[in-house]
Amino acid sequence: MQYALLIYENESVYGPEKNNPALREIVAKHMSFKEELGSKRIGGAGLAGSGVATTLRFGNGTKTVHDGPFAETKEQLGGFYLIEAADLDEAIGIAKRVPLSPDGAVEIRPLLGG
Amino acid sequence: MSRSLDRTFRSASARVVGVLAARYRDLDLAEEAFAEACARAAEAWRSTRPERPDGWLYAVAQRCALDLLRKREVRERHIAGEIAADAGAEAAMDEELQFIPDERLRLIFVCCHPAIAPDARAALTLRTVCGLRTAEIAHAFLTSETALAQRLVRAKRKIAEAGVPFEIPGPNLWAERLDAVLSTLEVAYSKAHEDAAAAGPHAPYAEEMLNLSKVLADLIPDEADVLAFAALVRFCEARRPARTDAQGCMIPLAEQDPARWDRALIDEGDRYLKRAFALQASSARLLQAGIHATWCVRKSLDEPPPWPKVLALYDSLASISDNPVTRLNRIVALAEVRGCAAALEEIAGLESAGMDGFLPYHAVRADLFCRAGRSALARSEYDRALALCPGAAEAQWLRRRRDAQLDS
Repeated sequence: MQYALLIYENESVYGPEKNNPALREIVAKHMSFKEELGSKRIGGAGLAGSGVATTLRFGNGTKTVHDGPFAETKEQLGGFYLIEAADLDEAIGIAKRVPLSPDGAVEIRPLLGG
Repeated sequence: MSRSLDRTFRSASARVVGVLAARYRDLDLAEEAFAEACARAAEAWRSTRPERPDGWLYAVAQRCALDLLRKREVRERHIAGEIAADAGAEAAMDEELQFIPDERLRLIFVCCHPAIAPDARAALTLRTVCGLRTAEIAHAFLTSETALAQRLVRAKRKIAEAGVPFEIPGPNLWAERLDAVLSTLEVAYSKAHEDAAAAGPHAPYAEEMLNLSKVLADLIPDEADVLAFAALVRFCEARRPARTDAQGCMIPLAEQDPARWDRALIDEGDRYLKRAFALQASSARLLQAGIHATWCVRKSLDEPPPWPKVLALYDSLASISDNPVTRLNRIVALAEVRGCAAALEEIAGLESAGMDGFLPYHAVRADLFCRAGRSALARSEYDRALALCPGAAEAQWLRRRRDAQLDS
């Protein structure tokens, strides 16, 4: 099966600056995790902060553009992996190894038709 | 449906559903196929019953599953080199069933997967593994049949769509999985245990728990908690014959005649517990089983009840697993050892512990108020306990106690 591992973290951990040490550290960890995953990884990306997010909402028959992420929550979607795993247990096993800041979370979702 | 037919279906249910679910990785399909096989059996067995009803049900359910898959038009996705279900295949399938290991354990791990909502796990286990009907489970969990059915549908969908594996997890995952499995079985068993007379809707699975805990202990013999659970179920079931009097009224543990306890079952429990203690010095489950073992040592009503030892064990239990239920049980022993005043003082500390809907809480309070001579308070506590739908034997006992208060 194929799964998306969606990474939710408190963005403030990484600060606003691009060369923040915490950010550099986690990016390095993701790089080596990507190597580790090898062919199990079928895709994925890190996302820029929710401060630059734009949301399109469809309501009352019209589509309106809003500044900001879909939901204003403490944890924001910060990146994702698309992986190949035999079953949910293997996917959970891989998710446990995803580099994560304290209090972060990884949501495991099967891909449709995957 | 006749009782014997119902029993046959229940006992075949877990094995047949388990094999089919494992083969097609689809609980719904397996259950539907088994239900169809039962319906056909009820018709076909009117004239003659097959020699091996399990084999018959399996063979027919297997065919029904294939039919259902064809109807769902996903046949090519699920079946690769599947057995053809022709007339001559029945004997071969009958044979095959003899070699299929017990599938219940695998199913238990599926139903108790951490990805399933905790409140659905016990219900799903009882439905799938023990073959209980949705209405029976709904009754046991004090919820409506519709609500329970929805919970089961959601859980089964999650299993199918999230890719929950139909495998017994490797030993590296047991630590995190076994606890969910044991907790689920404990919830299921406590429902059966609450009902002393075994007259209620959950009576059928008290015996099922003896079997399941054995299956679990046979397959995972090196986990102390698994053995402790097997021991606990045996100690509790051993006492069942002594839990009600001739009028069907509950008899409290300390007043039960040990001569009426099932010694063979107690010995079995002792053997499990001994093995468990050889593996591990202590755990909450070991202590709980140990408390029941302590009671089962008693040989006759002439021997004093083992309250001091029971209290000491509850003290140890509270030190590693402090929760309101443990504290309440400890208070019962405390009242016997140190008297009613000490117990009343302790139970006052439970007032904001969210136990208002917990029947034993009110029964214990009522008993303590009785002893303290506060009849009016005792009566109202008995009434509150009675309002929480006790089993028939418990209700009779509570009413007797309440009415005795009126006389004094």
